[in-house]
Amino acid sequence: MRESRNGSLILDSRVRGNDANRAPSAHAIPARTHAMNFAIEDSPQQSAFRAEVRAWLEKNSPPGIEHSADPCDMTLAQYQIRRSLGRGLGEMGWLYPTLPRQYGGGDLDAEKTVILYDEMARIGLSLPPYYDAGGRMGAPTILVWGTEEQKKRFLPPICRGQVRTWQLLTEPAAGSDLAGIKTTAIRDGDAYVVNGQKVFVGSSHGADQSWAIVVTDPKGERHKNLSWLMIPMDLPGISVAPMDLLATGGEGGSGSGVKNTVFFDNVRVPADHLVGGENNGWKVATTHLEMEHGGAGRLADRRVVYEFLDFCRKPLDGHAIADDPDARAELVEMFIEAEITRLFALRNHWLSHTGQPRSYEGSQYSLRRKLSGLDIAERMLRIAGPRVLTKDERWGPLKGTVEYFQRDAITSLHPGATTDIQRVIMARRIGVGRREREKAGTVR
Amino acid sequence: MDLSLDDTQQLIQESARDFVRNACNRDALLKLDRNPAETMTMLWPKLAELGWSGMAIPEQYGGTGNSLTDVAVLFEELGTGPVPGPLFSSAVLGAHILLEAATDAQKQAWLPAVASGEKVLALALTEAQYGWSPEQVRMAARQDGSSLTVSGTKVMVHDALHATDLLVPVRVDGGSAHSLLRVDAKAKGVSIRALDGFLTAVCEVVFDNVRVSKDDIVGEPGTAWAPMQRALLRAVPVLCAYKVGGCRAVFDMSVEYSRERSQFGQAIGRFQRVQDHVIHIVNYLDSARWTTYEALYKLDSGLDAASSVHVAKSVASESYMRACDFAHEVHAGIGVVREYGLTLHTKMSRTLYHCLGGPKAHRRQLERALKLC
Repeated sequence: MRESRNGSLILDSRVRGNDANRAPSAHAIPARTHAMNFAIEDSPQQSAFRAEVRAWLEKNSPPGIEHSADPCDMTLAQYQIRRSLGRGLGEMGWLYPTLPRQYGGGDLDAEKTVILYDEMARIGLSLPPYYDAGGRMGAPTILVWGTEEQKKRFLPPICRGQVRTWQLLTEPAAGSDLAGIKTTAIRDGDAYVVNGQKVFVGSSHGADQSWAIVVTDPKGERHKNLSWLMIPMDLPGISVAPMDLLATGGEGGSGSGVKNTVFFDNVRVPADHLVGGENNGWKVATTHLEMEHGGAGRLADRRVVYEFLDFCRKPLDGHAIADDPDARAELVEMFIEAEITRLFALRNHWLSHTGQPRSYEGSQYSLRRKLSGLDIAERMLRIAGPRVLTKDERWGPLKGTVEYFQRDAITSLHPGATTDIQRVIMARRIGVGRREREKAGTVR
Repeated sequence: MDLSLDDTQQLIQESARDFVRNACNRDALLKLDRNPAETMTMLWPKLAELGWSGMAIPEQYGGTGNSLTDVAVLFEELGTGPVPGPLFSSAVLGAHILLEAATDAQKQAWLPAVASGEKVLALALTEAQYGWSPEQVRMAARQDGSSLTVSGTKVMVHDALHATDLLVPVRVDGGSAHSLLRVDAKAKGVSIRALDGFLTAVCEVVFDNVRVSKDDIVGEPGTAWAPMQRALLRAVPVLCAYKVGGCRAVFDMSVEYSRERSQFGQAIGRFQRVQDHVIHIVNYLDSARWTTYEALYKLDSGLDAASSVHVAKSVASESYMRACDFAHEVHAGIGVVREYGLTLHTKMSRTLYHCLGGPKAHRRQLERALKLC
């Protein structure tokens, strides 16, 4: 490069795609560091890690693990198989691979983490292989906001798969308006006394702990009256009742199962279970919500789309659905929807694991995933007709997976904030109508 | 994986940003919009001096042999103007067609002049029954001794106005195979007319018994279609990158306006309905951006890129147009005042919507790429 007369940089023959033959020069020509790379490629060291993971999973993933199309169909026995796999993964530091080793994590870099997710997805499982939202979002949040003592106490059991944790945020009168929750936790000596009700919680087959946002100062100013508690679920006064929902909503691979209502009736939670400082809960929430809103990205493809494309290519009674030009046009639209969503997730993963500043991207991906899911479900209905609505063994496509997706696409619109809330967050982060752009939540 | 720009690309980006800021600011662009003919005097020598007309051309033919992603980084910045002119038509699309279709002697003879900016290429492919598929290209050339005689009309030809040389696919003696001709834009019998309206530098090109020597048949006669398709596949994502730049510019304009414009006692961006318009824009921007960049990555890496290219073109064409539509929603009245500058993008988004195949055409090709038919 050299300066042109008008001050712009001129490209000369030394700047080109292949620098193999480029001689060193006195000019400050930047070395071509790397080309843009969308592939998740393994180095020799990573290949070795992949082989290690695969061999480990072959040896340790219990036989007979089943993938019910509807996670609510997962039996207790099936759940226990997954928990046992989780404990095994935990021993390896692979259950929460990015968390520090000293707290039971794996200290793994982004690439190795991708490999782990990849290998789990290959056998149809997520990481963790069971619903553990309180661990998935609570653990990284405790890492930011907990005291050293709390990190040592709470994180290793989660990371090693010894406890399973639900997240308790939503209440009957507070979903989008999370700061409007009513569940109280009033300090009384060495405990907080919790009263209230949380909804749309957790999964089938119970939890050991719950990571909950509560009101610690009922008379306090909005946003300055909240705190986070890790609540042991075996305390007296806690009761759990399953909810009868259309589907469970976007928990693919974890076999999450039913959502519950959790009631707290004068539950005494030890005071040292409060994380992040009393009445500092809204700040802690910024970390939790950043995780929940998709800031970390996701690498899993929308597998049902690719399987459905394949289903439509295959002849049924001599004719394939894709023989119809209208169906093909719809299938292509569906594919485009899935591609854009996949790329947003991939971008977020890259931003997250290279520690780059993030702004609206988490919510953008969440919004996209939700809306494209609904769009894809509608297209499936148009393409393949009413058979997508049955899980009948003979007529339901892909063993009922498509039928479940029809229900789940609607249910998935709302967990982790509605599409409207995601838009509000995006607008604030972009700085629409305001001089200052709102910052993304603190993530390690 | 690493989705960031490398050092070379960052330098390209900076110099292009500098160019758009200084040489191609809004006043300059409005002037060119009123007088497109000045594009070549006002803009072209600067672009050539910056070396941009040679970026997509290998060193052996006088260029700098940059990767497609490098070239796309430049075009994304030019799209923020939007900087008009035939740089894409000539130095990317035209150059790639010659690289794929021409004999080595023809490449040696023509490409260095394209790289230096002396020759300006335009592809005259589409005809009265508009379309980019082979059956829609019918114009006939008649064998006439050792030369050919061409008559007929090509329409909706981008940048022919500025071209020194036209690349013209024809069918010799009415056969089914296509031959590609290089025709001097000033040759006897060629007339070029820019079409007036809501579009920029799109032309009708009439050939009236134009004689073309056999040396100007690009590559082997009757075999032009496949190499042209390969060239199109490579050029499409660069055009998409230009649209990404356009989306980015209207996004920036809209966010800025949402902060400045006050109604009912507050910035209009405080209204959620206005926010929604901006969010549509950023979603279109990022959809176009990442589909485009993945297609470029696949092409630069020698991977099978067809499905990604068709996705990118479908998405980018629609994204640029709709980003402009939503920018108009944000801006209301001021948006349609030409001096404001938004309409430069609105017009460009329409101009480029079908260029190299519209979204529907690319979706049809995607059906084949996905083996649905």
